[in-house]
Amino acid sequence: MSKGNQIAIGAVLCAALLGWYGYSQLGGAATYRYFQTLDEFLASDPASATGRALRIKGYVTNGTIDRALEERSERFAIQNAPPHGGGTGDTLAVLYPSLETPDLFQDGAEVVVEGHVDAADGHVVFVAENVLAKCPSKFQAAAGAPEAASGTNL
Amino acid sequence: MAEIGTYSLRLALLIAAVGIAAGIRGGLSGQAEWTRVAQRSVGLVFVFASIAMLVLFHALAVSDFTLEYVAAHSARSMPLPYRLAALWGGQAGSLLLWLWMLAAYGASALWANRRHHRELAPWVAASMLANAAFFLVLTNFLTSPFDKLPPAQVVSDGNGLNPLLQHPAMMIHPLLLYTGFVGFSVPFSYALAAMITGRLDTTWFRITRRWSLFAWAVLGVGLMLGGRWAYEVLGWGGYWAWDPVENAALMPWLAATAYLHSVMIQEKRDMLKIWNLVLIGITYTLCLFGTFLTRSGVVQSVHSFTNAGWFGYIFLGYVAVAALFFFGFVIARRNPLRSTKRIESVVSREASFIFNNWIFLALLFVVFFGTMLPVFSEWLLDKRMTLGPAYFNLFAGILGLALLFLTGFGPLIAWRRASANSLRRQFTLPFTAGVATALVLGIWLRREPLAIAYWGCCAFVIASIVQEYVLALAARMRGHGESLPRAFATLLRKNQRRYGGYIVHLGMVFVFIGITGAAFDRERLENVRPGGEAQIGPYRFEYLTADPIPQQHYGGARARVALYRGDEPLAVMKPEKRMYWLEQQPSSIPAIYSTLLEDVYVILTAIEPDGSATFKLYLNPLVNWIWAGVLVFIVGSLTVMWPAPARPQRAGAATTGAAMDAERGA
Repeated sequence: MSKGNQIAIGAVLCAALLGWYGYSQLGGAATYRYFQTLDEFLASDPASATGRALRIKGYVTNGTIDRALEERSERFAIQNAPPHGGGTGDTLAVLYPSLETPDLFQDGAEVVVEGHVDAADGHVVFVAENVLAKCPSKFQAAAGAPEAASGTNL
Repeated sequence: MAEIGTYSLRLALLIAAVGIAAGIRGGLSGQAEWTRVAQRSVGLVFVFASIAMLVLFHALAVSDFTLEYVAAHSARSMPLPYRLAALWGGQAGSLLLWLWMLAAYGASALWANRRHHRELAPWVAASMLANAAFFLVLTNFLTSPFDKLPPAQVVSDGNGLNPLLQHPAMMIHPLLLYTGFVGFSVPFSYALAAMITGRLDTTWFRITRRWSLFAWAVLGVGLMLGGRWAYEVLGWGGYWAWDPVENAALMPWLAATAYLHSVMIQEKRDMLKIWNLVLIGITYTLCLFGTFLTRSGVVQSVHSFTNAGWFGYIFLGYVAVAALFFFGFVIARRNPLRSTKRIESVVSREASFIFNNWIFLALLFVVFFGTMLPVFSEWLLDKRMTLGPAYFNLFAGILGLALLFLTGFGPLIAWRRASANSLRRQFTLPFTAGVATALVLGIWLRREPLAIAYWGCCAFVIASIVQEYVLALAARMRGHGESLPRAFATLLRKNQRRYGGYIVHLGMVFVFIGITGAAFDRERLENVRPGGEAQIGPYRFEYLTADPIPQQHYGGARARVALYRGDEPLAVMKPEKRMYWLEQQPSSIPAIYSTLLEDVYVILTAIEPDGSATFKLYLNPLVNWIWAGVLVFIVGSLTVMWPAPARPQRAGAATTGAAMDAERGA
């Protein structure tokens, strides 16, 4: 067998090893999350999703942001449709054990929360490890993120 | 006025079509007149694209809000430089910029090679024009920067550019990226021309070497500038998040790095010819794909192609056609491309470069898979799966270490088959340096084994570079009686690519040193009342006051925080929390105290209703080595690229300083 082929086989073996290692890390570092809208998540029996890594997109319901300084956490609710667009509907309570929500985080902002469900005492609460507010689109002016802009009063 | 722009683009499209036909005719028939028509067409497309650019620049400068594009991306309150930079702030304008750069590169590459390799010219012209034609179709019919607003909707002031992007780095970041992306169209076109004409030797990449180096260096700097901007402006303490848009620009750079190295093997030993064509094909395809990813928003949104719409499909179609065409030729030409030479030993420079290629491809696959998984999983499984930074860091961490190792190993290992003697001679010192560093760090730090492995490898590479320079300088000083500075200059002149390349490697090692420091990052969230204190590591912070910042375009608060190390006062840091009025855009601007050892990075998270302030404090060890590494990278790249007078090869000629001066024509 030519050396070139030997090297290729060696490369494939290394790749397989790496892939196997990565697969073993699936629960940890290489974990993937399902990315859903809030409606999709609520439709799929939220309580049963306990412990799974999730990523949910929604809009911050007006008036629900509660910053608890002593506990170093924030609570808020998200809903599926933008509040200023007259959207209502089911909401999901979110607990974010940190005070550093992103700059764009405000009433009506489009957010993506990453974390897991905690349905301990019958209440479904989403414990967020990460809260992302809509990134300013480079290719449209901020008016391209109308949800964040018009839903607020300054 | 805008009509001039529209008509320029129409004309350019017509000329491009003519030029493509002429190029194909010239290439097939060998008649120089047709080739000349094709080349002139490239020049004319450049002229008309330039006119269109000037028209758009003018409209932005005078705030002509009858144009939809100007109204969407510019505003009267923006200073002139940012109004002009708004040209690439949106989709239509940046496609026009792509087009203009394509024409500029095409015209200059053809002009630079007008006297030699004329058989390639018609195909190069046709290829560049075909690429330009796609962007011309887009900007003429689908997303024109010169569309006018209906008279009822003309505004008196525009939306303006997102204030986060009104930063000097962001002004030039897209320009750098595009200069890089579009630059690879030159080697791509020459590779295509080489395959079509059957000129499968080293010609195509030798004559495009500086073009490839330039594009690669500029793209690299653009990537790192993006990271620096994120660090300074986005305020999350980091500089790279494996965001799809970041990955879209990184992937072609990875492929291009592999390509730039792999061609050395074809030059020296006439091997890896198929590899090199495949690598440049992948590079350019990824440039197009990266533009598609960034423009169409296909990955970020929860549900993909419905958001990307027609634009996504058309662009993806173009990428697929270009790739199929190019790789089709590679397959068609695979027999004459196969090398007659064989790898003789796994312990050889040729084999190391092959390993290098494979590892880069693996890294490329990891990044591509992680970036595109959401799209593929939704398409195939109806569930959108996303992977986070942890996935990327895991694999990039392992593969990056292998690449770093090869950076030191490759230049030292002998060609064809390394003997035990040569291994001992070349590697004793660098290996010792690497292992010793790792041991010392291991004993001192006692955690983060991967970081210690990285730093050990960095020491290995630095030692190998120093060894190469010292040996060569000593030989010149001893053998030719040159002084140190002169020997250094001669070395860079006589073997520009090798010794300049080492400087580039050194820059990358510094970057790795800096990135590895992130393993020891510290962060802390503190809530303090005025007069209160917080601590992180050896640093003490005293929260002094917060003042409002009434500016014309934004308001908010600026906190004043006194920084001490122990009792020694260092600085007053002033993190800000801003609100941009027009755009309703909040923004956190960090205060950064930088030393070579680490950055102290402070974010004003909020001024709370009870008058206290919440701060996020970061300690980022070694992060400034990254930016220092970029500077070294730039110096090294300039050294490698610097135009050198063509010199006839002389085997073993002994020359004195004076003779070399005469040779150089100084």
